[in-house]
Amino acid sequence: MRRTLVALAVLLAPTVPAAPARAPLPDHVPDPAAGELAFWLGGCASCHATPVDGKRARGEDKLLLGGGMDLPSPYGTFVVPNISPHEDGIGGWSMPEFVDAMQRGVAPDGRHYYPSFPYASYVKADVKDIMDLKAYLDTLPAVPGRSADHSLRFPWSVRRGIGMWKRRNLDASPVIEFDGQDPLLERGRALVEGLGHCGECHTPRRRFGGLETDRWLAWAPNPEGEGRIPNITPAGKNVRDWSAADIAYYLGSGFTPDFDTVGGSMVAVQENLARLPADDLQAIAAYLKAVPAVE
Amino acid sequence: MGFRKVLVAVSAAAIATLAVADDDPRHVRHELMEDVGDAARVLGGMLKGERPYDAEAAMASLKTWEDVSMRFGDLFPEGSESGEGTEAAPAIWEDRGGFNAALGDWQDAIAAAVAADAATLDEAKPLLGAAFQTCKGCHDTYRIADE
Repeated sequence: MRRTLVALAVLLAPTVPAAPARAPLPDHVPDPAAGELAFWLGGCASCHATPVDGKRARGEDKLLLGGGMDLPSPYGTFVVPNISPHEDGIGGWSMPEFVDAMQRGVAPDGRHYYPSFPYASYVKADVKDIMDLKAYLDTLPAVPGRSADHSLRFPWSVRRGIGMWKRRNLDASPVIEFDGQDPLLERGRALVEGLGHCGECHTPRRRFGGLETDRWLAWAPNPEGEGRIPNITPAGKNVRDWSAADIAYYLGSGFTPDFDTVGGSMVAVQENLARLPADDLQAIAAYLKAVPAVE
Repeated sequence: MGFRKVLVAVSAAAIATLAVADDDPRHVRHELMEDVGDAARVLGGMLKGERPYDAEAAMASLKTWEDVSMRFGDLFPEGSESGEGTEAAPAIWEDRGGFNAALGDWQDAIAAAVAADAATLDEAKPLLGAAFQTCKGCHDTYRIADE
């Protein structure tokens, strides 16, 4: 009996929500205007806005965050949840509950979220930005309706494994360390590694889906089909050949230095980033120019 | 058959081949888009502040765009959906009305900029900006991304 209990305890241990207890929230008055920028940087609408006629929401429809979009993956299909301020979404959540979801991947009822929700990136963001984000989300329309459950293949359908995954992959420390303290690079790092979650597409994954940080931003297979998501380290042709000003201009306007237009899944990302102030786009460009070049 | 005749025959065949290739709408529209790109580099360079605003050069580039935009809609006949490295998306044939509307947006934006014949960059900026947005608007849906 005792052995069974020990075995059970070992088996269940990883289901206990991620390791250390959270630090108390900082003394910060959440600012919805700053939160709106966090919202676009995070690209929340790209997944959580309810599709219209089977297509990605555009314009004002991006603010209706009822979820429902399918995200196919090697593990099965994830169905994006409602994050509008309705009781079917995040309505009534406390600030600590919201921060726990965003940065520890834990639901208010203690369940683990799957890392298709990129909290392993968001954990690297400034908690004050997360608090601002909630203040902004609370201003958006409440949309009723709960999404269908994920339909994942065994064993991925068992959430227990996620605790184990977090031990290896949930880390608040920066991916790239820079010598000295350059505020522009640090800002860029917070934007790219944190809420911007650029690494989630541009960095290849190990078995079980953790990011291969040795190959940070060095290209990955396109999760939505053929081709690849480009290398955006200085070894990739665009970051190598474009000036930092060109990169910032591209992110803001959608035009390459040759005045060709942004394409593919980057279109939606670029349209979100276009909402950021120019100095943030310059910080992203400076960071991309400074990360290690990986072929 | 003398050498000269062979030469003539070979030349004629070569010219015929070239002519066929040049008539292929997949090639024609690719070439025209290259011209559009050259003009875009001039206009975009001014818009981005990389080169000084030059009303004459801007107008010449707009005229290139105008010319192409008027011919472009006829270059997507049935049978030219794929091959020859075309980046045309199936959406052009699936939603011809939407494609024509997107092309119309481009034509309208060009017409507005040509009519304004802006003398300064400040005057030109909103008009050129609007025209560039129509590039994006159409490519998003009707061009295959080469990722």
